[in-house]
Amino acid sequence: MPPKNKKNNGPVKGNKKQKEIVQDERFQAIVLTDSFETRFMPLTSVKPRCLLPLANVPLIEYTLEFLAKAGVNEVYLMCSSHADQIQEYIENSKWSSQESPFNISTILSLESRSVGDSMRDLDNRGLITGDFLLVSGDVVTNIDFNKAMAVHKHKKSLDKDHILTMVLTKASPLHRTRSPLDPATFLLDKKTNRCIYYQPIPPISNASKSSSASINIDPELLEDVEDEMSIRNDLIDCHVDICTPHVPQIFQDNFDYQYLRQDFVNGVLTSDLLKKTIYAYIIENDEYAARVESWATYGAISQDILARWSYPLVPDANLLDNQTYTYEFNNIYKEEKVILAQSCKIGTSTSIGSKSSVGEGSHISKSVIGRNCQIGKNVRITNSYIWNDVVIEDNSVIDHAIIAHNAKIGAGATINPGVVIGFNVELGKNKTIANNVRIVEKPIEKEDDEFDNASSFGSDEEEEEESDNEEDEVKKQSTNNKNIPLFEVKDIDLVGEDGTGFLYTSDREVDDSDSEYEVSSTSNAPYSGVLYQMQALNFSDDSIASLTNHKHKSKRRSNKNRRLSSASVVSTDFEGGYSEVDDDEEDFDKEGIATVERALENNHDIDTALLELNTLRMSYNVTYHEVRSATVQALLTRVVHFISTDTLEVKEATEKIFRTWGPLFRRQVFDEEEQVDLIQILQNKSVILDNTYNQKILFFAINILYDEEIIEEDAIYLWWDSATSNATKELATVKELTGKWVDWLREAEEESDED
Amino acid sequence: MSVTPEILSLVDPTVAQLKRRQIEGTKDIALSISQLLMRVISTARWTNPYDLIKIIRKVGTILISAQPKEVVVGNVVRRVLALIRDEIETEATSSSTTASASKDTPMMSSMFSLLSTNNNDSNSEIHHQSKKQSSDLRSIIIQGIRDLIDEISNVNEGIESMSVDLIHDNEILLTPTPSSSTVLQFLIKARAKRKFTVLVTENYPNDIARARKFVKTLAENKIETVLIPDSATFAVMSRVGKVIIGSNSVFANGGCLTNSGVANVVECAKEHKTPVFAVAGLYKLSPLYPFNREDLIEVGNSGKVLNYDDHKLIDNVEVITNPLYDYVPPEHIDIYLTNVGGFAPSFIYRIVLDNYKTEDTNLE
Repeated sequence: MPPKNKKNNGPVKGNKKQKEIVQDERFQAIVLTDSFETRFMPLTSVKPRCLLPLANVPLIEYTLEFLAKAGVNEVYLMCSSHADQIQEYIENSKWSSQESPFNISTILSLESRSVGDSMRDLDNRGLITGDFLLVSGDVVTNIDFNKAMAVHKHKKSLDKDHILTMVLTKASPLHRTRSPLDPATFLLDKKTNRCIYYQPIPPISNASKSSSASINIDPELLEDVEDEMSIRNDLIDCHVDICTPHVPQIFQDNFDYQYLRQDFVNGVLTSDLLKKTIYAYIIENDEYAARVESWATYGAISQDILARWSYPLVPDANLLDNQTYTYEFNNIYKEEKVILAQSCKIGTSTSIGSKSSVGEGSHISKSVIGRNCQIGKNVRITNSYIWNDVVIEDNSVIDHAIIAHNAKIGAGATINPGVVIGFNVELGKNKTIANNVRIVEKPIEKEDDEFDNASSFGSDEEEEEESDNEEDEVKKQSTNNKNIPLFEVKDIDLVGEDGTGFLYTSDREVDDSDSEYEVSSTSNAPYSGVLYQMQALNFSDDSIASLTNHKHKSKRRSNKNRRLSSASVVSTDFEGGYSEVDDDEEDFDKEGIATVERALENNHDIDTALLELNTLRMSYNVTYHEVRSATVQALLTRVVHFISTDTLEVKEATEKIFRTWGPLFRRQVFDEEEQVDLIQILQNKSVILDNTYNQKILFFAINILYDEEIIEEDAIYLWWDSATSNATKELATVKELTGKWVDWLREAEEESDED
Repeated sequence: MSVTPEILSLVDPTVAQLKRRQIEGTKDIALSISQLLMRVISTARWTNPYDLIKIIRKVGTILISAQPKEVVVGNVVRRVLALIRDEIETEATSSSTTASASKDTPMMSSMFSLLSTNNNDSNSEIHHQSKKQSSDLRSIIIQGIRDLIDEISNVNEGIESMSVDLIHDNEILLTPTPSSSTVLQFLIKARAKRKFTVLVTENYPNDIARARKFVKTLAENKIETVLIPDSATFAVMSRVGKVIIGSNSVFANGGCLTNSGVANVVECAKEHKTPVFAVAGLYKLSPLYPFNREDLIEVGNSGKVLNYDDHKLIDNVEVITNPLYDYVPPEHIDIYLTNVGGFAPSFIYRIVLDNYKTEDTNLE
């Protein structure tokens, strides 16, 4: 829902109207500092993503530097989670000084839970006066923006419906900097680079699954392609967009849009009503653009910066005023006052911050070391990112890990690939941290209910997990009302007696629970470097649904996760946030059923009922599964009502209700899978009914829906043969009557085939 | 004397532009730095010219740290400092006829000054300048900077005038620095009286686009021009009469910093005993000495060397480097053509002494 009551939060510009007259002189940029994702948990529970250091410079600096170079005059930072930190940072930075190349202001949009919300908030505030640049706060790029802008203007002069230019980089599909999380296929008109279709694709690791190896294109979309078109799966989408003022308006009009790409771009392109066009600008080969959106790209982009792909955004450009990096041969960067022991070895692509010291015999390569770090003797650090004030004692081995500020690693520790050590964690002596374990200073509070759900769901993922016992225990304990002392007893195994820190298990967010699954399944495979390791740290939402078999659970869960991952994570919000989510679903059931019942009683027309349901679905953010479930429940209740009051016979009652109201499903059921789901719901709900007539109701209902062409034969067969429809004795009994009809259907089909 | 916020607010935008590489080309950098210093001098509050010197030195260090490998920034700052010092000197000699002459003339040219301590504070006490004098000085200095700006912007004219004497008819020339506008003007000017052929190297990877533009401009001026790959340099060198190179900066020892790839070419030229002419404006001469490679050579965008989309290669290559400059030692250059005349590399230190003050070599 678009937030409406926050106009007072942001800076109020009095001279707005006056400025609107001189449109062309100003060029605005909107920076989305919040990604509305939880991929950088647990570190983002303490610091916002855009302030995490990348090669010892906060991420936002790279974006602002790009904007400065692009000649932007006004920058608005849309902040939601950790807004105070971002605001404070900006206020103390060079960007808010007088000499800053642009005016910068932070906009607090605390209620935003998705990119869509931010855009709607932006529109409400009426800040946008002309074409503007929309970037996320984690872009690293050295592109010549003037060229992109020229292309945008040119396209706009040719095509007045042009509303958005996406800046894309060419790369190969498996490129390290290409997001393994939300890769997408773009369909472009070859001649004009007009984007015809956008299709997000599930992660590459799942590509073997038939569902993700293909994309479906509506032939209508291709009607106005004049010449040739290209389907491209080799583009890095770094979320640098030049937008016209229509873009926030479209978000406003379509209040269910959450994501810029999935919802907005797709929505605009497939909409018959809007008739707007989107173009792509593919940047030249020697330019660089990438977005830090996961640990995988964090690692890759750090390496790119050290290897000077992003020149002039390199460490020795000293983006922060107090930095003193100098370049040395083989991409080694050192600040002032770095103390290196004579026998230590610094390999290629390494950056070391000031006042850090490296002890005798230590070996560091392809890593970033922050300021004031103390690295002991005979330590080996490869492909790791160590932030400020970290102490690493003698003989430790660190590979492909991320160690946040103020952490302490005891002597002889072994940190395996994929590990994330949180702020202020202390690790005892001689500890070995297994792959992909994340440790935080304090347990992040979680909701019990969430865990019940999660542990049953996550049972399969833990089987191969190296630290599975530990994790199980943590979960059990946390379900026992989060007994903190127990936690501590537990985690001594992990961090040692002299350490502090807790295991972070992120079963609440789909990314990570999924990643653990992924890692365990791929851990036997040989990995090659930071790429695969970091990639293993997380995966996208999409894969979870396809990985699990318990249909009902997974649906519920994925829908919940979707909501969670789109919710910005502020650690203090968790409790409230979660209970709210759970309530939402139950509420929806109630509300949905009530809506349909109201429609039945008052004899609304179907469109009105549908509209109401759809609005409800969006506002509660639930899937169609819930909508179907609610509708079926309401219809059946109505049928039962007729039967029990003896107004109508079973057949007539079912006929009456389903014949009239069955078409509701037409807008709730779109493909075969959903048809099966609908029948399954119908079956499940019928089981609970009085068993004198429930078989009949099921039979008639399916029959009518088949008649109305809402469900197809294939779906019926699929349902009939599926394991879930025969799971219990009751289920088997209830569908008995339908059996004959299904057989008849099959025979009829065979006969017609023979003909 | 610290740098006041007003001055910082003048300096910061230029620092940011330098950091972002928004000002490209040594000439543009030199011009913008001198204009900036002019603004600084007119804004700065000072009663004593030595305070002004301190301010400029501070500003100089800030500017140099913005792009430490761009020597021209330091050159311009030092030129301005020398200008101020010269003015103070003339002022001193004219105003105090008797006393000061013995006391404070910096006899840098004499051997005595090596041992004497040059105490600025004692100097400053002597110069109790009235408000009027200091504003006079201010306008004189600003006029001096205007002259410097004129000199920088008209640098090509002085160099061009020598071209006819140096280039013969039907000669074949080779230039490995297609990014240099001075070389371009030099050749175009020579074409007015002479007919000759120019070979231009591509200078992969940083200059290819510029090389094509360069060749096109030459051809438009009716100069017979051939674009050759870098690898062909040695093969064609036997036919080449002169090698003409542009330079980014010239050090006091006579060595110079120029586009990457030029070191190769001059090495070939040495082998074939082909004369090498380096063209350089006076503002490119630096009082510094080249001590080590890492302080001098800027390393640029790796993406120019290897396409970024080739991930298999990138993942497996340990280091990709794209140095932007080459250092050419003095023994590989036969003559420097500057806007004040032609000089042997071994004579450069003398020109440097004429234009800079040794006190300012180290600004910190």
